[in-house]
Amino acid sequence: MSLTKRVSNWFSERLGLNDLPFFKTPDYMYHVNEWLGALVAASFIYTVISGLILLLYYNAAAGYQSTETIINQVPYGSVVLYSHLYGSYAMIILAYVHMFRNYFVGAYKKPRELLWILGVLMLVLTLGASFLGYSLIGDALAVSAVDVGAGIITSIPQLSFLIPIIFGNYDTGDYTRVLALHIILVALIGLLFVFHFFLAEQYGMMPSRKVKPKAPAVYTKEEWSKFNPWWPRNFVYMSSLIFMTWGFILAIPNALAYLNGLPQYFDPFMNPKPAPPPNSPAAAHITTYPPWFFLFLYKIADFTSDVVIFLMIGVIIPLVYLIILPFIDRSDELHPLKRKVFTGIGILMITYLIQTSLWGDLAPGVEVSIKEQVIAYLIPAIIVALGLTFIKPMDVKTKQVRGISPLTSLLFVVVAMLFAGSVVELIDYPSLFTFAVTLFTGSLFFIGSKTMGKVVLSKGFPNNAVPEVRTTTETPTSNETKRKFAEVLMSILFILVVIIVAQMWTIPPTGYASNLFGVDLGLVFLMLGEVISLYHYVVYKKPVEKEE
Amino acid sequence: MPLKIRLGNGEKGVLKTSDLYFIQKLLRTMRNPKTRFDSREFVEKGEDYLFNYVGKNVGGIDEGRRNFLKGIVIGVAAATVVGIIPGLRVLVPPVEQATGFPKSLLVDVSGNPLKASSIPVNSPIITLYEYPLTGEPNFLLNLGDKSGNPVSIAPVEVSVPQTGKTYKFPGGVGPNNSIVSYSAICQHLGCTPPYIHFYPPNYVGPSQLTAPEPNTLTAQALLAAKQANIPALIHCDCHGSTYDPYGGGAVLTGPTQRPLPAVILEYDSSTDYLYAIGAIGVATYPEGSDGVPSQDPTKDLDTSQYGSSVGSKTQVQASTNPFSGS
Ligand code: FES
Repeated sequence: MSLTKRVSNWFSERLGLNDLPFFKTPDYMYHVNEWLGALVAASFIYTVISGLILLLYYNAAAGYQSTETIINQVPYGSVVLYSHLYGSYAMIILAYVHMFRNYFVGAYKKPRELLWILGVLMLVLTLGASFLGYSLIGDALAVSAVDVGAGIITSIPQLSFLIPIIFGNYDTGDYTRVLALHIILVALIGLLFVFHFFLAEQYGMMPSRKVKPKAPAVYTKEEWSKFNPWWPRNFVYMSSLIFMTWGFILAIPNALAYLNGLPQYFDPFMNPKPAPPPNSPAAAHITTYPPWFFLFLYKIADFTSDVVIFLMIGVIIPLVYLIILPFIDRSDELHPLKRKVFTGIGILMITYLIQTSLWGDLAPGVEVSIKEQVIAYLIPAIIVALGLTFIKPMDVKTKQVRGISPLTSLLFVVVAMLFAGSVVELIDYPSLFTFAVTLFTGSLFFIGSKTMGKVVLSKGFPNNAVPEVRTTTETPTSNETKRKFAEVLMSILFILVVIIVAQMWTIPPTGYASNLFGVDLGLVFLMLGEVISLYHYVVYKKPVEKEE
Repeated sequence: MPLKIRLGNGEKGVLKTSDLYFIQKLLRTMRNPKTRFDSREFVEKGEDYLFNYVGKNVGGIDEGRRNFLKGIVIGVAAATVVGIIPGLRVLVPPVEQATGFPKSLLVDVSGNPLKASSIPVNSPIITLYEYPLTGEPNFLLNLGDKSGNPVSIAPVEVSVPQTGKTYKFPGGVGPNNSIVSYSAICQHLGCTPPYIHFYPPNYVGPSQLTAPEPNTLTAQALLAAKQANIPALIHCDCHGSTYDPYGGGAVLTGPTQRPLPAVILEYDSSTDYLYAIGAIGVATYPEGSDGVPSQDPTKDLDTSQYGSSVGSKTQVQASTNPFSGS
C-alpha cells in the first residue's frame, strides 16, 4: 500500500469517516439546488471567521475611528472588513434563496416542520445580527439606520424600554452593547445551526418529487443505505461549493472597493467603504438609507403613519405566516401546482419583497397614497392568481420529455412580473439605473420566454420528434471527451493559481493596492472550488445518475 | 501498450493503454462473484443498467489518472494555503509607531487649515487635537490677560519636581506669540478632559470653590495663581493638580510631580497656519519605567499605548464647554 493510502486510512479509521452518521446521498443529488443550505453555512462560517479577526481590532468605544484604522492601517484589514460585509450580504441572499426553494418544493412538510421553523428563526436572527453589524461602523448611514430603527420602536410607548437594552449608549458613540449583541445573535445562529444541521441529517435530503411525490418525503433506511456515503464524495462536492462561495465573497467587494461616484441609490449598497462620520459636514450631502436588506421595511413605513400597522404588514404577518406554514398547509402534496394557494403566496412574497425593496431604494421616504399601494400590490396578486388558475400541473411524463420543472415556470412568472415592474419604474423615474434594471430583467424575461415557448410549442405539437431518450444519448465516449476536457482545464487552473499566488506575495498589506489581495484570494478560492468540482466530475460522476 | 490497426499506409489507434486497462478491469469485475454482472437485468433494462454498473463498480477512471488528478487538487489547495500566508499578516497589529514626531498641520473640523489669528483668546471651550499619536489629546490655548488681550508668552525654564531637572519651554507662537499647547493628559494619574481643563480669568475666583465637578477649584489652586500672579490656570479635578499655562505648564500645586509636556508649535505668518512639530518636557503620561518619566519625549513614541501617528494633519475640535452647565 502506498504511503498516502496508509496515511488516509489511518485518519479515516481514527475519525470513523466510513461510518459517520451523516446522511448518505443518492447520485442525482449532486446539484447546487440540493446544497443551498451548504452555501448559507459556507457564508456563515466565512463571516464568523472574518468577524473574529475584526474583533481583534475593533474598538467599540470608538467605532468609526477603529473602522478607519482597520481599513487604513491594519495589514489587509480592508480585505477582511469588506469581505465580512459581503459575507453577510451573501448569507442573507442565500438564506432567502434556500428558504424559498424549500418553500416551493414543500420541504417544510412532515416530518421537517421543526427544521423549517428553526430556519425561519435563523433568518430573523441573521437580519438582526446584520443590522447590528451595520451599525457598528458608526458612519452617517449606520447612525441614521439606528435612528430609524430606534424611532420605530419608540413610537410604540410600551416598547421604548427596549431602546437602552438594544442600543445602550449608541448615541454617545459607545457601541459596546451593539457589539456584544451582534456577537450574541451570531452565537445564537450558530447554536440553532447545529440543531438545524443535525435535524437535516436526521431526515436526509429531500428525495426528488419523482421518487416520493407525497409527504412525508424521506428515504427509508434500506433505500438510503445504498447511496454514497459522506466520505469522500459528499465531502469533495461540498468543499467545492464552500470554496466557491468564499471566492465570490472575497473577490466581489474587494473589486468593488474603489467604485466611487456611483449614483446615490447604488453607492451605499455596492461600495463597501464606510460613509463619512455623522458629525462631519460631508454627512449632510448624503441621502441616508437603511441597509438594503431592510429597504422593504423602510418603504412600508411610507405607507402608513401607524407604527402598529406598519409592524403588522412588514414584520409580524409574514413572520407568523412562515412559522405556522407547516401547520396550515397540511396536505401531503409536494407539487407546487397542487398547492396553488401557498405557491401563489410564495410568489407574491418574493415579488413584494423585491418590488418594495427597489421602491424603497428609488423613492426613499416618499409617502405613498392608498391608491398607489393598491395598484402596486394588487396587480401582481391578480397576475399570480390568474396564472395559477390556468397552469395545470404537468404530469410526470411530459415533464421528462422537456425537462422544465415547475420551479422554472414559477421563476419565469417572477421574472415576468419583475420585468413589467421595472418597465413601470423606468417610465416613472427615467434614469440610467432604472434602464439598466429594465435591461437586465428584460433579458431574463427574454431567455425565460424562449424556454417557456418551447414547452408551449411542444404541447401544441406533441409529436414533433422530441428526443425521448435524451438522458441515454450521453454515451460513455462523450463523457470521456468531457472528462478529458475537464482534466486539461484542471491543469490550466493549477498553473493559473500558481501564477496568482506568486503575485499575491508582492501585494502591499495596506493602502490602495491591498484590496487586490482580496480579489486574488477570491479568485484562488474560486479556482480551487472549480478544480475540486472538476475532480468530482471526473472521478465520481456516473454516466447516468437516475433519480432513485 | 496501445492497440492499433493498420489501414493502408496509416496506423490508426483503436484503443489506448488506459482503455485497455479499463476493459481488463471491467471484465475482472464482471466475473467477480461479488459484483457479478447480471445479464438478465441487462436484457431487461438495457444500456442504463450497463452504465450504472460500470459507474458503480469500476469507477470512471483508472488509478493512475485518479492519482494525477488528486495531485492537481492537492497542488491547488497547497498553492491556496501559500497564498493565504501573506494574508496572515492581518493578525499582526500595526504597533510600530511613529519613529519621530510628524509635522502636522492643524485643521478645523471640516478639514481646512486652522487660522492662528482666528483662535479666540481665553476661550472656556475645551479645544483639543491629537498629537503625535491618535488618542493623545493636547490643549490648544490662546492666552490673554484679565481683560482678554493676548499675552506674549516668553521662553521659560521649567523644572520637573520629581527629578529636579529642568528644560526650556520655547514660548508662545502666533501673531501675538500668545498661542501655546500642552498635553491634556494629567501627569498625576492620567485624567483627561473634561476633568482637566483650562480656567479662563473670569473662572479663577472664589465662586469656583463651590462649583460642581469638573469645575471645582481648590483654595490652594487659587492661592498659587495669586502667588504666581497669573490670571488663568489649568486645573485637574481628579485630585487637584494645577498647572501654569503661562509658565510652560509648570506645576503650581500637587499632587502631580511633573509639569504638562508642551507641544512645539510652528507658526507660518504668511499663511497664518499652525503646525505641530514636536514635544518638549517629560513623556506623555503614563510612560516611564518605575514612575520616573523619561526626559526625552521621543522615547515614548514607540511604546505608547495610544494609537498610531496622526500623520501630516490633525483635527482641532472645540466641542465641550465645561462651564455651560454651571
Ligand atoms: S489625575 Fe489629575 S490630579 Fe490626579
